[in-house]
Amino acid sequence: MQSLLLYLAIGALVGYFLSMINKRLGPIVLLALSLYGLFTLWNMPIGSVEDLFGFEDILQFTALSKYFSIITLIVFSCYAFFNIVWISKAKRPYAFSALSILTLFGTLGVFLTPHLIALYIFWEVAVVASLFIVPMGKEESKKATIWYIVISSIGSYMFLYGTFLLYSKFGTFNLFEISGDIASEGTGFKWLVSLLLLGAGVAKSGIFPLHVWLRNVHGNAPDTFSAVLSGQLVKMGSYIIALFLGAFPIATMFSQFYAGVNIFSYVLIWLGNISILIGTFMAIKQNDMKMLMAYSTVANGGYILIGLALLDQVGFAGGLFHVINHALAATMIFLSFAAVVYRTGTTKIDEMGGLIFKMPVTFVTYLVGIISIAGIPPTSGFVSKWMIFQSLISKGMFVTAMFTFVGSIGSFLYVFRPLAGVFLGQLKRKDKDVKEAPMIMLLPMIILVALTILWGVFPQQVLVWVTDVQRQFGMEPFKFDGTVLYSNLGHWDSWTVFVMFMVGFIIAAVIYILMPKGKKIPLDDQYTSGEFLHNFDLYHYATKYYAFLEREYEGHPSFEDWYTSIVNVLKAIGKGVDYLVRRTASAYTFWMALVLALLLWVRW
Amino acid sequence: MDKIEKIDERGVWEKIADQLRSRSMWMLHYCTGCGAVELPPSMTSRFDMERLGMGPMATPRQADLFLVTGYLSTKTLRRVIYTYEKMADPKYVIGFGSCTINGGIYYDSYSTINRLDQYLPVDLYIAGCMPRPEAILNAFTKLMDMIRKGEADGWKRYNENYEWYKQNQLRSLGEVVVYDEFHE
Amino acid sequence: MTVLKVAGIFLTAFFFGLTFEGIGRKITARVQRRYGPRWYQNFIDLFKTLSKHGYTHGWIFDFGVIMALGGIIASLGFVPVGGIVAFPGMDNFFVIVYLFTIGSLGMAMGMVGTGNPWASIGVARALTLMLGYEVPYMISIGSMLYFYRTSSISAIMSAQGGDWNLFKFPIGALVALISLQGMLGKEPFEAPIAPAEIASGPMVELSAKYMGLLMLMNTFMEFAEISLFVDLFLGGGTYFVFLLKYLVVWVLVVLISSVLPRFRIEQAVYFYWTVPIILAFVQVFMTVNGFVF
Ligand code: SF4
Repeated sequence: MQSLLLYLAIGALVGYFLSMINKRLGPIVLLALSLYGLFTLWNMPIGSVEDLFGFEDILQFTALSKYFSIITLIVFSCYAFFNIVWISKAKRPYAFSALSILTLFGTLGVFLTPHLIALYIFWEVAVVASLFIVPMGKEESKKATIWYIVISSIGSYMFLYGTFLLYSKFGTFNLFEISGDIASEGTGFKWLVSLLLLGAGVAKSGIFPLHVWLRNVHGNAPDTFSAVLSGQLVKMGSYIIALFLGAFPIATMFSQFYAGVNIFSYVLIWLGNISILIGTFMAIKQNDMKMLMAYSTVANGGYILIGLALLDQVGFAGGLFHVINHALAATMIFLSFAAVVYRTGTTKIDEMGGLIFKMPVTFVTYLVGIISIAGIPPTSGFVSKWMIFQSLISKGMFVTAMFTFVGSIGSFLYVFRPLAGVFLGQLKRKDKDVKEAPMIMLLPMIILVALTILWGVFPQQVLVWVTDVQRQFGMEPFKFDGTVLYSNLGHWDSWTVFVMFMVGFIIAAVIYILMPKGKKIPLDDQYTSGEFLHNFDLYHYATKYYAFLEREYEGHPSFEDWYTSIVNVLKAIGKGVDYLVRRTASAYTFWMALVLALLLWVRW
Repeated sequence: MDKIEKIDERGVWEKIADQLRSRSMWMLHYCTGCGAVELPPSMTSRFDMERLGMGPMATPRQADLFLVTGYLSTKTLRRVIYTYEKMADPKYVIGFGSCTINGGIYYDSYSTINRLDQYLPVDLYIAGCMPRPEAILNAFTKLMDMIRKGEADGWKRYNENYEWYKQNQLRSLGEVVVYDEFHE
Repeated sequence: MTVLKVAGIFLTAFFFGLTFEGIGRKITARVQRRYGPRWYQNFIDLFKTLSKHGYTHGWIFDFGVIMALGGIIASLGFVPVGGIVAFPGMDNFFVIVYLFTIGSLGMAMGMVGTGNPWASIGVARALTLMLGYEVPYMISIGSMLYFYRTSSISAIMSAQGGDWNLFKFPIGALVALISLQGMLGKEPFEAPIAPAEIASGPMVELSAKYMGLLMLMNTFMEFAEISLFVDLFLGGGTYFVFLLKYLVVWVLVVLISSVLPRFRIEQAVYFYWTVPIILAFVQVFMTVNGFVF
């Protein structure tokens, strides 16, 4: 582990200088490093302990570390692979490559250490490295960076404060040593520490009320880096949540509230509920495809949080499984968007259309990605959704179940918007000559598609990792036998479902083939109510796709506006103070008057 | 034409298919002229067209039977041809009223065409100005008979004599100049 | 054995689904004082459309149609039809509900793939409507899963015995029936396929066999959805008893649809998110607190 982190730290420098020779070398270094990391960490036995830079036993390889680092490294390898070609569009390619490697260094460090201070340092490295990548994106990305840094620092300062609180009580920074003793502390202390430590996770994984940065940052960051942001950096927050919920004896620390769920988890579940609601309904009304997926990330963060906070055999496993599903799906989707932007140069849904006939592989990637996000079998997205639903229903938590249902069905709505607007429909005249993305870009997308379907049909591999984590935290592990998954409300078999799906598909295909063949007609041979059309660009329904639904919640309160107005209030106060301390005649008169008034008032 | 015995070229499957087609005719009524007003009574409870397996359809793609219900100005004819060409084979056309046969009372109008079958292959005409629902239903049963016997082959004629029809269409309409008044 | 059972379910859905649709058309006609078509009219319609020579707009259109039918056929296999249970224990409620969406997604994708904006509008409406009806439906069924401690349809079906869930969960059954109306796309919830308003929405560009395959898909979908209702609330039963119950539910749905006008789409969503959702939570409250008759 130490050597891997060392290689990464050096790799950042090497990557910087190598990309000066040729831009493409930077991503290649990152690819090599992540593949090497994937190989070492995959084979590393769980429970290994190592020193780091002379500090003893700081690195500890737990089941949770393994799970999250494998996700991270998969996402980063695909990202690096994709970047080999894409880097030609990057604004500052050297810094971009170097900082990408540094981000990987930071996140891997976070996953590998239970030492809270070391974790904090790695965390800040990841945040700062990614912080400098974000403004290399679109015009507004500089502003977005401010959102990112403010919310991130809220999270990390909460974390730091919580860490020192723990240190002052227990005199150690090692999380696993603390976790045994904390249950006996006072209620106020327990609440404070848990909220502070989880605050970092909440801020990072875009949970309400700290979700506002995702839209700006994901929407404006460089196109491929959005994939890392949504697929991986946000998962750092989920890691913190999973780590503390698992390592602390939450169930004994707080009193029971409803259906065996303790009050603290319940607060988290409600945050998750609100995130799902906000994420879903805001995603439905976005016209920018990257911002749409950013809100989808908020909603899926809510799912993960609900699953993890349930802290039981099925729900916790579902939450963990959802991490990998969403990581893969978000990476796929953002990479396919990056390919689309690479060719067309826009992210607005209603400025595109009909790209499927030009970029079929990109389309298939997006399609499988959304099938997984929407939780439809036979992709892996369904497995985790099924687990979360089963757990919620078996506990009788119907209000939360309602939110998850709304989120799940709402996701059909928002994922369909780019599908219909960007890939289907009429091909715009300006895009007539668009070509499919280059092969190097397609390969990582195809790999991700294959992984998603593979783990949807054969979820055993992931479930082994997930149950290892559950065993590490002393939970009853999720029960599965081959492809048959069990919960306390019955079971299902992903292989049977897949076979049935194939059977249905073959029957349909046979009927289709037997019947007279259809004649191929061009896209502009349409039913137009008998009207002759001139400009088929306009015969495409993408603007305000769900206008009839959006109307219903047009005047919703916005947290982004609310935060902005707080900032404005602060700015105004600052301006006032500034005005009063400036050495001008009016300020001088004001102070004089004030002093005189005070004197007069006090004396007489 | 009806004096000469026509040779039935259809295979067994086509014959079965024609049986089915005759019993399930989905129609698209291009409501030009006065004829449209006769269709609601033939559809609703008085005459109930659905018992013959017929029903209205929303778009030409789904329809089998094209009803041209009255006079056609050149402007409408253009749309009628456009719509007809969107329909899937096999497709049938019925011309309503004297206007489609010989121009009817508009025979000397400057803006209407007189004979529909110069432009589209009409399978059946219904005489009258306007034909009553009884006549319309009579025509539908007649058309069903024709389909079963393989006589309603207008769509084949259109494909075979496409050049001739196009020529006639062009003569009356000129080149279609598409002009988009809203967006240019 | 499983193969035979699955084949049995498909054939039942095919023959009785189409027959019952024909009967439904007849009933609507009678309500409107018409004579109506023959009961086998839908078979004729189906085979006629399959025999025609259609038009396609490219590979996504073809693929979407196949995926639609294939997805529905796959989910149909999991639905218990009376005594025929192809996958006992494996017929998980959520699996079936989510398998349906493959078919719907395939249809939506294929139809929008034609490039016609009417299709997009229809699909947008259909999805919005789905947001309406699925939530109360899943909550009310969820309360049943909670009560029986299983999410297997066949297990719930057999656990009822003669004691139907319709009487045990009367409010839940009402909610499910209202949602069923939306699922089947019958009036007052048929805005997605409004023929005169948006040229029949998703089906606007469907010709010939594409129309036929989607009609078949629609039949299978209706069959599966009503079967779920019969299994869950009316206790399933042997093969013919099941079909009889099916027919009763179907006639009820058709009767309701034949006398009602159409909701606008946001009215439909608003309706579903007020009355049925509140009723569903009343049912949940009763179930969780043990008021099950
Ligand atoms: S035939 Fe008579 S009723 Fe029909 S369109 Fe011509 S004028 Fe009108």
